[in-house]
Amino acid sequence: MEILNWIRFILAAVLITAGLVFYAIQFIGVFRFQYILTRMHAAAIGDTLGMGLVLLGTTLIYGFSMASLKVVIILAFMWFTSPVCSHLLAKLEVLSQRHRDDRCPVVKAEDIGKMHENAEQEKEAEA
Amino acid sequence: MFADMPALNSACHYFMIFVFGAFAVMFILCLIRMIIGPNVADRLLASNMIGGPVICTIAVLGILLNETYLLDVGLIYTLISFLAVVIISQIYIGVYREKNQKQELREKKLAEQTAAQAAKETAAVKKSEKREEN
Amino acid sequence: MSRKRPVEEYEKSFAFRFKRWMSGEKDPFIGEVEMHPQAEPEDPEAAFRFVEEKEYREPARMRIDAKASTIYSRGYIVMSIIVCLALVAILSLAVSHLPSIGDAANPTNNEVGKRYIEQGLQETGSINIVTGMILTYRAFDTFGETTVLFIATCCVMMLIMVENEEKRKKLKLDDFGLEPLDDPILKIVARFLCPIIFMFGIYVVLNGHLSPGGGFSGGSIIGAGMILHAAAFGFPTTQKFFNEHIYVIIKVSALMCYGLIAIYFFYTGANGLPSIFPKGIPGAILSGGIILPIDICVGTEVACTIYAFYALFRRGGL
Repeated sequence: MEILNWIRFILAAVLITAGLVFYAIQFIGVFRFQYILTRMHAAAIGDTLGMGLVLLGTTLIYGFSMASLKVVIILAFMWFTSPVCSHLLAKLEVLSQRHRDDRCPVVKAEDIGKMHENAEQEKEAEA
Repeated sequence: MFADMPALNSACHYFMIFVFGAFAVMFILCLIRMIIGPNVADRLLASNMIGGPVICTIAVLGILLNETYLLDVGLIYTLISFLAVVIISQIYIGVYREKNQKQELREKKLAEQTAAQAAKETAAVKKSEKREEN
Repeated sequence: MSRKRPVEEYEKSFAFRFKRWMSGEKDPFIGEVEMHPQAEPEDPEAAFRFVEEKEYREPARMRIDAKASTIYSRGYIVMSIIVCLALVAILSLAVSHLPSIGDAANPTNNEVGKRYIEQGLQETGSINIVTGMILTYRAFDTFGETTVLFIATCCVMMLIMVENEEKRKKLKLDDFGLEPLDDPILKIVARFLCPIIFMFGIYVVLNGHLSPGGGFSGGSIIGAGMILHAAAFGFPTTQKFFNEHIYVIIKVSALMCYGLIAIYFFYTGANGLPSIFPKGIPGAILSGGIILPIDICVGTEVACTIYAFYALFRRGGL
């Protein structure tokens, strides 16, 4: 059964390297984006797929045992709590900064209707 | 890990050490982000981001040393980093809201003062114009 | 037949005066000790007003008297850097003279370590030698650590806790109107996660003698679970099952239980003497002598400490 072990290891190695690639994407994103709310999109990539692939690779190596169950539990816990962290961080950023319009222009719901009306009036005036 | 196949064992060993090195680089990058980040939210994001590679490192270490009880530590780490984000964000929302409220009050006062001054100036200008007419 | 003392006689007795002193109604020194009459503060409400941000944001450097010169402030900075570097150099020099790690001739590789490793499993009954060592061979030492946790929370309570309702309102300690308290996402997730965290904490506490864990780490996990509950649902909900009354009961009884078990263990259980707590089969949960009951005591102690610190610093009360 040597070949099975080799196949298991190679599959796990491929998954772990794929996970590392996604982590690299995360770090490139976090360093190149200029604003916190966009950086969070990049940070979530590593937390979900990066960690998922790496831990799946480790479960393959551990085999069918208690350790793989623990790894799956860790993964489930992380996937439950990571979105809540993003939500709270976004709340912190939105509620704390007052002058954000140069980075992230926010249009209120009432004004969207007015914008549409103005655009229609301009079109009618042109036509 | 694969005790009865020495070739596979050494291959696994070296691969895991390489993965280890990659994660070590990620920690330093997270620290850099924490130092650079201009806001509190940036730093909090970095401290939450450092938890992912740490847990993967712990799992890889369990393979290297063939000890499976290290995964309990990983679960605790997830919990602690999540809790840190929850509490610190709550506290800083309160702090910043208070700051913003005070600043708004100050700006209102300033605006009122400038409006009052502008009104005085226009009144003075009008008076001087009337005198010139007269 | 008991008789009730008349009020005037009671007011002269020692017990009444002691109680009055403890409750803080009357200062025992005013009127009895020769001292200058205390001037009434001009503004008795000054302590309760919020300090303007400008006043406490001044950097420490500016508090030095401007006349006393920039030479002093600059010299202070230079001297502090020099002193820090000198300390680092001296300590590094001392560390470099230490014997190398793992050397067989080290003073730490003596017969005590050998005894723990060779006979630890047989004498304590626990697979985890470290837990067996700190909770059987050196149980008294761990008792001291647990007492330190107890004293630490007592000190923090003395310094920070504000019980008086009016004072709390004046200091606006319960006014968290600026912080988000009903976050529905957090509530749903916390409702699902808190039981899991508590169960995991209890698992780590009970497995002290089988795998790395034990009372201290398990207790921290349980404390973290309670902090999450308080942060997500608010303090009034948490006070329904963990308020100051329950906290006092749990803490004091845990410490006393540990003390009684340790006193009992001083006279029994070692060197073949029989004791109530059986050593059992190594590897089973009910094994290891006194390790399991002491782990539970230490776990509850640490959990209460961690939650108490959080609640005291956030709210000024449990």
